[in-house]
Order: sequence, then C-alpha cells, then structure tokens
Amino acid sequence: MRKSAELALAAGVAALGAGGAIVTAGLPGEGGYAGIGPNFIPGVIAAGLIVLGLWLGWEAWTGRWRIAPEEPFDAPAFLWVSGALFAHMVLIGFAGFVLAGAVLFTGVARGFGSRRAARDAAVGLVLSLAIFFFFVKLLNVNLPAGWLSPLLGGAGL
Amino acid sequence: MEAFDALLTGFGVALRPINLMWGFIGVTFGTLVGVLPGVGPALTVAMLLPLTTKLDPTGALILFAGIYYGAMFGGSTTTILLNTPGESASIATALEGNRMAKAGRAGPALATAALGSFFAGTIATLLLTLVAPFVVTLALKFGPAEYFALMVFAFTTVAAVLGASTVRGLASLFIGLLLGLVGIDTQTAAPRFAFGVPELLDGIDVVVLAVGLFAVGEALYMAAYSGRQPATLEKMSGSIWMSKEDWRRSVPAWLRATAIGFPFGTIPAGGSEIPTFLSYAVERRLSKHPEEFGHGAIEGVAGPEAANNAAATGVLVPLLTLGIPTSATAAILLGAFQNYGLQPGPLLFQSQGELVWGLIASLYVGNAILLVLNLPLIGIWVRVLAIPRPGLYAGILVFATLGAYSLHQSWIDLLTLYVFGLLGFAMRRWDFPVGPAVIGLILGPLAETQFRRALQISQGDASVFFTHPISGTLLAITALVVVLPWAARRFRPKTPP
Repeated sequence: MRKSAELALAAGVAALGAGGAIVTAGLPGEGGYAGIGPNFIPGVIAAGLIVLGLWLGWEAWTGRWRIAPEEPFDAPAFLWVSGALFAHMVLIGFAGFVLAGAVLFTGVARGFGSRRAARDAAVGLVLSLAIFFFFVKLLNVNLPAGWLSPLLGGAGL
Repeated sequence: MEAFDALLTGFGVALRPINLMWGFIGVTFGTLVGVLPGVGPALTVAMLLPLTTKLDPTGALILFAGIYYGAMFGGSTTTILLNTPGESASIATALEGNRMAKAGRAGPALATAALGSFFAGTIATLLLTLVAPFVVTLALKFGPAEYFALMVFAFTTVAAVLGASTVRGLASLFIGLLLGLVGIDTQTAAPRFAFGVPELLDGIDVVVLAVGLFAVGEALYMAAYSGRQPATLEKMSGSIWMSKEDWRRSVPAWLRATAIGFPFGTIPAGGSEIPTFLSYAVERRLSKHPEEFGHGAIEGVAGPEAANNAAATGVLVPLLTLGIPTSATAAILLGAFQNYGLQPGPLLFQSQGELVWGLIASLYVGNAILLVLNLPLIGIWVRVLAIPRPGLYAGILVFATLGAYSLHQSWIDLLTLYVFGLLGFAMRRWDFPVGPAVIGLILGPLAETQFRRALQISQGDASVFFTHPISGTLLAITALVVVLPWAARRFRPKTPP
C-alpha cells in the first residue's frame, strides 16, 4: 500500500495530540481572574492536533494527499548520518568537541558517498580545531576540550 | 521629524568603529554560510546565533542585521550559479538567473541581483524608517485583546492560507505551538511538558528547532534521497559589469519590485515567496522582450531579487514595532532579541530607542557593506560553491551541532536536535511547510500570554475579543481570508476556460 506511510504520519500527529491531552489533564487548572488556568491553551492545542491528525488521515485515505514519487530510500546513507550524530552526542562530553566533531564529519561524509575516510577525518579534525579556537579564544564560548585538553591548554571546560 | 533625529542618533551608534566591524563580520559570515547550497537565510541566522552569546545587545543585533542581508545575497549567488534554490523565495530568480549564467552572462546576472538588492534594501529601509514611528503610535493603543487578534491573524495567514495545503500548514503550526508550551508557564510558574528534565524547563530554544528542522532534517533527506545527482556549477566568465542596455532594463524592474515587495513584507503574508513571483509575473507582462523570458531575461533576475530584499526589510516592520514575526527568519531574530531579555514592540522604541534606531541605521550601513564587499569577492563565493557534497553536509552538521550544544553544554540538546531532525526529514519528505512550526514555537507563548491577560482584565469575559473594535475587525478579516479562497474554489464554474 502506497498510502501506509501517509496514514502512519497522520496517526502520529493525532497521537501527539492525544499525548498532549494526557499531559494537559495533569496540569493545574485554577485560573484566578482570567477564569482559565495553565491547562486551557494546552488543551486547545492538543484538541487541534487530534482534529488535524484525523483530517490528514482522511486526506491520505481519499488520495488527496499525494506526494511526488521519490527515488528509493537509501537506508545505509540515512543510518550513517544518524549514527554519526549519535556518536557525536556520546563522545562530546568526555572526548571533547574536537574529536567528536572529527568523528561526526567523517561519518556524515561517508553517508554522502565519500570513500576516503582518512582524508575526511583529517579535514574534520582541522575544521573542528579551527571552530574550537575561534569560539573558545575569540568569542569566550565554552566548549569541552576533553581528551585533547593537555594539548589545547586551559581552553574550554 | 522626531524619527529623523532618532535615526541620526542611530547612525551615531551604527557607525561606531566596533559596530561597523560587527556589520562587516556579519555580512561576510552571512554570505559565506548563505552561499552554501541548501542553506537558506533562516538556517544561516540560526546557525550563527551562538556567535553572539557574549556580545552586548546592540553589537549582537547589528551583527545579525549583517548576517540577515548577507544570507539573502549568498542565496541568490547560489541560485544563479548552481540552480538549486536554497529557499522558495529564490525560485523565481532561478528561472532566469541560471539561464543567464548558462548563456555566459553570469556576471551581469550577479551584478543586477547585487545592485537590485542594494537599491531595494535601501529604499525599503527608508520606508521602514518612515512607517515604523507611525505603527508604533498605533500599536501603543493596542491592549492584550488586540495583540491576540493580530497574532491569530498572523497564524492563520502563515499556516492556513499560504502554501500548498491548509491541513499540512496547520499541522506544522500546531506542532510548533505544542513545542512552545514546553517549560515554565509565564503566568503561574507551573512547569508544563518538561517531564522533570532540567534542560526542558527553559523551554525549547528556537535555535535547536530551526537548526534541527532545516539542517539535520535537510542532511538526512539529502543523504536518503536524491543524494546521487550532482548539480552543475556554471562558470564565471566574461565581464561582471552590466551594459547600458542591462541598466536600462534593470532599474525600472528594481523600482517596481520594491513597490511590490515592501508592502507584502509588512503584512503577515509569509515573507518573500509571493512578492518574488508577483514581481516575476509583472516583469514578464511589461517586458518589451517577452520572448527572452525562459531564456535568461535580465528583468526576471532584477525584479525578483529586488522584491526579495524589499520584502525581507518589510518583515522587520511588524517584527520591530509589534513584536510579531511573519517569517521563519524573523521568528529566529525574535529569539535573538529574547536571549537578551528584549521584547520587540512599541515599548522597545521608547525604552531602548538607541538600540532600535542603531539597528535600523545599521540596515542602511549593511546594505552598503553588502555592495562594496560582495561584487569584488565574488570569486571567493564561487569557490565555496565548488565544495563537494560530502564535505559540505559534514561541515554544516559540525556547525549545526555546535549551536545546540553551546546552549547548556548538554547532550540532551543534541538528542532534541536529532529528534527535530527526524521531524524535519518527515516534513520535507511528505511536503509539510517548516516555517509555521518555527513561528508557532516563538509566537505561541506570546499569544497565550496576551490571551490570558485579556481575560484577566475582562474578568473571564471572552466577548472582549469581538467587542473591541480593532480586535473584532482583525478577527473578521481573519475569517474572511479563510473563507474567501475556499468559497472561490467551491463556487468557481467547473469547466476550465
């Protein structure tokens, strides 16, 4: 079925609304002079999302929501980019901004079809180093130096 | 002439050497990032926001004015030489500009774009200077009910009326509104949708949402689809200068486009997309050489580019005078103001007059910098365009994650960024507009505050929104813009002409 992805997306929007409604039910409702509390607008937005989810579902079901045909989904490329972002997320705290950035750069480049990992790693390392010094030394933005802190001196955290 | 005096004071601020330097840096970085294929002005502004965390507000906002204009110009360079419009407002330019480049006339195409942006930007800034004090006087009469009605109008036009699909526009808006709820309720200090995560108590930062949707979402999309088709880069050959004939055809187009672009920018009509197409259509109709359209007519570049810049300046009118962003880029700029505890609106003109007028003066300066900097440096921008895609997207993501991480030094923000990246991927794949989500995130909490304030004043009587004349009129107009297009479709004769 071509429609299944669209229907799933519509269900996702409605589910977001339902989740919002559940959270809203736990919010305080006393409103003071206004007569409405912190739960009023969240309730309106949650209801809106449920209605929009149903509307999207109807459009998907009746074929009004047509999306131009795409090339086949390139799962490995998608996973390389996602994996690089997760590796960066894990590494940045203890390995530091520069090394995490180099890993991210190499992984994303691989996802976009590059086969020269060593060169990409070198480029990523130089780029991250340049950004690190620019932000930490010139703009006083805190970035973690991590494993490279002996080399990078007292810069960053 | 009060505005004139204020503007002179503003020039005093903008022309301080340090602020002039921020202007130069902003234009350079804005162009450098904006020229990257697939990076539009909204993403450029969002990615460069962390640059300003340690600056004083005036310097930061001047830097941003430069980035904003630089990003616009960078985008048009990419469109002309590469034919991959970074944003919908550049599509009209792509029609003629890329054809001109293919015919070996890339130089004049870039020149008319740059000069047209300068003329339109300067005239539009002049109009902004004249209009802003008038709107401020009007806006000071606005109470919470009027503001709320105005915001409802902005939501409706941005999400429901413009764009391909009403339901997808609204879905995007409501996702943004839901995300805007996360954090501490401003009225009662009750935490909402934070699930006990400290990083979420501050609310969702507009940088994380915008960068997630635009940069991470775009990278995932480009990796998964269409990753294999290389775009052809047109060569810069021949003279960059425009001939007499080029001038004769460009100048009227610039002027007409400014007249179209500025008013469209000031009303909540979703930024630059409509005026650029409108300008393109007008030039095509009025041209003495209609046969050249589709094969590289210079009016087709001059008009849309000027209209784009005039609209971009027009957008600043509601942003500065009312605090209402009408495009994704404006929403991010509003986020930049909020980072400094500044709320744009009529009161800001009074309490921070020097800052606001310094910013407006820096728009004049920024336009001039853009002109003197960009035409000579065009060779550098062309080289940036030649970066191969793996390196390009890898570099964009290194920069994108930096912005999110520098907020709290926490990996939670990076996870949020990835989740928004998945959202942006799905929205791109199934054709949801992204702008309404960003506007909803920023404008939603402001609208809620005004709504509840209005009800506090009226002791819970909801009829205030309809009985106050300005508020009632705005809501009536809102209803009209929803009903009219629908009615026009419904009752149109079924047989095509």
